[in-house]
Amino acid sequence: MTDVHNRYIPRTALCVIGLIAVSTACLLSSLHAAPSPAIRAAMARKRAEKQKNLPSRLPEAVRDQAAGAPFDVAPLDTSVAGREAVAKAATTIDEMLQHEWSQAEVAPRPRLDDEQFIRRAYLELGGRIPRLEEVKVFASQQRSSKRQDLVDKLLTSPDYVSHFYNFWADILRLKERPDKQTLVFEPYMSWVKQSIADNTPYDEWVFAMLTADGTLWDNPAVGYQLRDRGMPLPYIDNTVRVFLGVQIGCAQCHDHPFDRWTQKEFYELAALTSGTRDRQFGGGPKTPAMGMQMMGMQAGAANARGLFQELQEARKKRAVPVAAIQFLRLNNTAVNFKQASLKLPHDYQYDNGEPEDVVQPSVLWGTIPEEFTAADRRTQFAGWLTSHDNRQFARAIANRLWKKMMGVGVVEPVDEFQEGNIPILPELLEHLTDEIIRLDFDTREFIRIIAATDAWQSQAVVYDASGAEPYLFTAPSLKRMTAEQLWDSMLTLVAKNEWAFQRPTAEEIKDVAAVDMTTVSYDSFVKQWESFNEKYGRGYQKHIRQVAGYKDQVLVRASELPSPAPANHFLSQFGMGDRDSIQSSRQDATVPQVLTMLNGWTTHTMLERGSVIYDNVVDQKSADRAIETIFRSILARRPSLGEERIAQQELSSAETPAAGCGNLIWGLLNTREFMFIQ
Amino acid sequence: MFQNFRQQLPSLDDRHTRRAVMSGIASSTLGVSLLSPWTRVLEAAPAAGTKTAKNVIYFYMGGAMSHIDTFDPKPDNADVQGDVGTIATKTPGVQFGEHMKNLADLQDKLAVVRSMTTETADHGKGRYWLQTSYPVLNSIRHPSMGSWIVSPAGLGKKPNSDLPPFVLVNSNGNGHPGAGFLDPSLTPVPVANAEKGIENLELPSYLSDKAFKRRLDLADRLDAKFKQRYAGYQIESYNQMYKDAVRLMGSKDLEAFDLEKEKTEVRDRYGSSSIGQGALLARRLIQSGVRFVEVHYGGWDMHNNVADGMANKGTEMDQAVGSLIRDLASSGLLDETLIVLTSEFGRSPGINVNAGRDHHPAAFSYLLAGAGIKGGAVYGKSDDRGHGVDEDPVGLTDFNSTITVACGLDPFKQHFAPNGRPFKIGGGGDPIYDILTVS
Repeated sequence: MTDVHNRYIPRTALCVIGLIAVSTACLLSSLHAAPSPAIRAAMARKRAEKQKNLPSRLPEAVRDQAAGAPFDVAPLDTSVAGREAVAKAATTIDEMLQHEWSQAEVAPRPRLDDEQFIRRAYLELGGRIPRLEEVKVFASQQRSSKRQDLVDKLLTSPDYVSHFYNFWADILRLKERPDKQTLVFEPYMSWVKQSIADNTPYDEWVFAMLTADGTLWDNPAVGYQLRDRGMPLPYIDNTVRVFLGVQIGCAQCHDHPFDRWTQKEFYELAALTSGTRDRQFGGGPKTPAMGMQMMGMQAGAANARGLFQELQEARKKRAVPVAAIQFLRLNNTAVNFKQASLKLPHDYQYDNGEPEDVVQPSVLWGTIPEEFTAADRRTQFAGWLTSHDNRQFARAIANRLWKKMMGVGVVEPVDEFQEGNIPILPELLEHLTDEIIRLDFDTREFIRIIAATDAWQSQAVVYDASGAEPYLFTAPSLKRMTAEQLWDSMLTLVAKNEWAFQRPTAEEIKDVAAVDMTTVSYDSFVKQWESFNEKYGRGYQKHIRQVAGYKDQVLVRASELPSPAPANHFLSQFGMGDRDSIQSSRQDATVPQVLTMLNGWTTHTMLERGSVIYDNVVDQKSADRAIETIFRSILARRPSLGEERIAQQELSSAETPAAGCGNLIWGLLNTREFMFIQ
Repeated sequence: MFQNFRQQLPSLDDRHTRRAVMSGIASSTLGVSLLSPWTRVLEAAPAAGTKTAKNVIYFYMGGAMSHIDTFDPKPDNADVQGDVGTIATKTPGVQFGEHMKNLADLQDKLAVVRSMTTETADHGKGRYWLQTSYPVLNSIRHPSMGSWIVSPAGLGKKPNSDLPPFVLVNSNGNGHPGAGFLDPSLTPVPVANAEKGIENLELPSYLSDKAFKRRLDLADRLDAKFKQRYAGYQIESYNQMYKDAVRLMGSKDLEAFDLEKEKTEVRDRYGSSSIGQGALLARRLIQSGVRFVEVHYGGWDMHNNVADGMANKGTEMDQAVGSLIRDLASSGLLDETLIVLTSEFGRSPGINVNAGRDHHPAAFSYLLAGAGIKGGAVYGKSDDRGHGVDEDPVGLTDFNSTITVACGLDPFKQHFAPNGRPFKIGGGGDPIYDILTVS
């Protein structure tokens, strides 16, 4: 346990409070077996009220319910016609699936009841469990469109943005500091969130990333190309893998041993983006990436070069930290494209070319769309890749989103389409591909359609890839929550406001980071660096701790936390991706995860005064109501009769009913039912 | 230096029979069994006269470690060698990269394999193949070497230990194949940060043992129906982890995880790096009853400035592994502990425009030391540029089978996964008998 945490232990012990153990003031203490006269109950209620008003140790920003919405999300078409179109598209998918099931004599799964549905909808579309009041509202609704209403509400909520940001961050390897030259990456990360909120069509979004020019703050989409800066061949490998679902990486060094790709084809494709530069000054292909000696002849280059030399001198005398030089490199960072030839490697070993031959650029299949043939090569590449005629582009995203919703792709792995990886249902895959094209790559609408299918609204299947039973998408596979879903769900039970702060946007970074290198003096550069460091460097960690820190944690949505999380952080423990390899998040069980659930801060924080669940339970006037509140808060459902009995017994036999409530909350958080999505 | 080992081997059947008689008790049915290694007390006794490994400390250099700058330098080719120099080792004629000072001095205790070769240059796939001996497949997840070794089919758990049999250091376990299709109890317990040990082992101050038991019992009762309805590997894994976690909380040997118990000068000797402290933790764990410790040390993906990277990572790795070997040698533990050092593949002989090296799967080097291993050996040869293998190619399954033999296990014995498919510990490759003292 860290020092920070240790410091708090004595205090926790002193003010053992509320649901944690004995609470004389808690209303629930009036629920002792002995009959309690009305007057006693009233007094107890008064005491409880007082207790509630005692200051909570949770930070103010986390407890402030009135905070505004963190994102404006683009509206959906909720007209009657819009809704009908969704229903019709969902029915088509269901009919295809039902046909397959009857052919294979597979029984459909039971439909989710409303309680199961709301939990899945919140978790899979919003990334967290529903809050008590949301559970109550949904249960009280009578109209037949209530499920569609909820899906539509979620798809236009900040929760959707946060959740799908986490989804893409794992694929795009989003981290604050991707390499030593890129001191901040927030402008790009924030742009990804904004694109999700704006519901930018997927093809436009990808095209923008592949062709963006400029600085990180003026055109944050350049972040995509900067993620692999200095590595033009891995850039092509990653891009093809992420957006086309095809792995040609082996062919970087030799003809692909298991697939059809040749090294020549790899180089021909890479030749299209050869000449992508990542620096304003210097940065020709032969310049070492870390150096800035070759500043070029551009206007103002001399000032930048002088500044660099001065900084290096100062560094030698330890007058500035190395980060100050990195700050200059950050300012020198800008993407532009100037066509350059690419040569075959010096050890090229095949008959179809000689070592060091200049490669003629070419796409992997199909042709470059006519509208782009006159454009520069990088634009040709982007135009080809994202074209509606490039069916593999559509197929890859349709399959990826299907997996996001159902847990298993029609083709697995989603980024390795090849002959050996046979689609579970080929017709379904082609239909989904047609759908995403018909929707003009509106990925949110695509998700909306899947969420409206009977298959998605059925009880989970335990999927076993090596099992004898074929899996034909009768329902989503049983999933453990992702690390982010689990964190955000726990947060829902603690924080009234999950958005105590948001990470800085491109504009905010620009205000403090942008320096005109062609004119800036050494002194004002260093000053600028210091204020940047104070605000978004070292100082930022301090700032977020002040706003939302509690014990050694920062209580905010996972999408706003530093990434990747430190190795011993809850998120890492539960399998958040390392953000270095594509889609590296995992949901496997480990002992430290369980120790965190048993003894870690998370579980116990919510038993303290001021947490959402504490306040909700303390408000209840009877044991039944308290039990129901706990079940609905954690599992989004009422207890069964048997569970009700077990819970009652717990409350009446614990030291105090309050302690019993604490035990019940802790117990439910440590069930598989909580951790998994059924 | 060595003849081609493939020509020296007895026929497969001969070895199979011999091995089967020697190891005798190896179980051939796997999967989710009642015989968890936590409860296993029997141990395969090695045949008299052999010194096979009882413990394994396995270093994994994540990101792909350059072979040219560590164990297979090419001083005659300046354009390949780049800015990292070379040094002589204790074995005449054998050179290492200049930052391998300690290991060069210990070469008489090491076997270097310079003819490793694999088929992928993708980090994730390369790592999986190395760790499991099998390529990534959609339909099955293979167990890692560590899980095999601590399984009943391998050496099992050590008797009288209530520490986990398999610990993963400096990793949170993400992306590790773990127990694969074996019993979930063979999953490694990850220690994300060697210096912090395992966190959250103690109950919060307000909770008594009795109250804790009461809560666990309550959770079990409330979860019974769900567990039954969704029974399967995922749920079973978590059920097992809950058992293991509670068991670990009550362990008498938890001090093994606490590096504070070591003297400062000992900690300094290993180095303050994560691999230094990880190596020290590995030693403590082995001494306290852990069978297999896998220490991760990332950051080897040196596409930029390989010389700077090597000065940093290489020096730290050398100090850590060197100190460990010396410590184990002086305490006698090296005779029963196998030390392994691997990486998913090597790095290119050509230095790129960013003064770095790129991925290179065609030729690279691994290291072995300790129980079952011939000291001072250099096996296999890469070509004069370190690009391809010239002599005695060693694939990942050959290497892993060598580990199997060093542990006194039969590398050709078949074990069956729950779906009926046969597997061998180490993937059924040809062990490198030339560097083994056991067979």
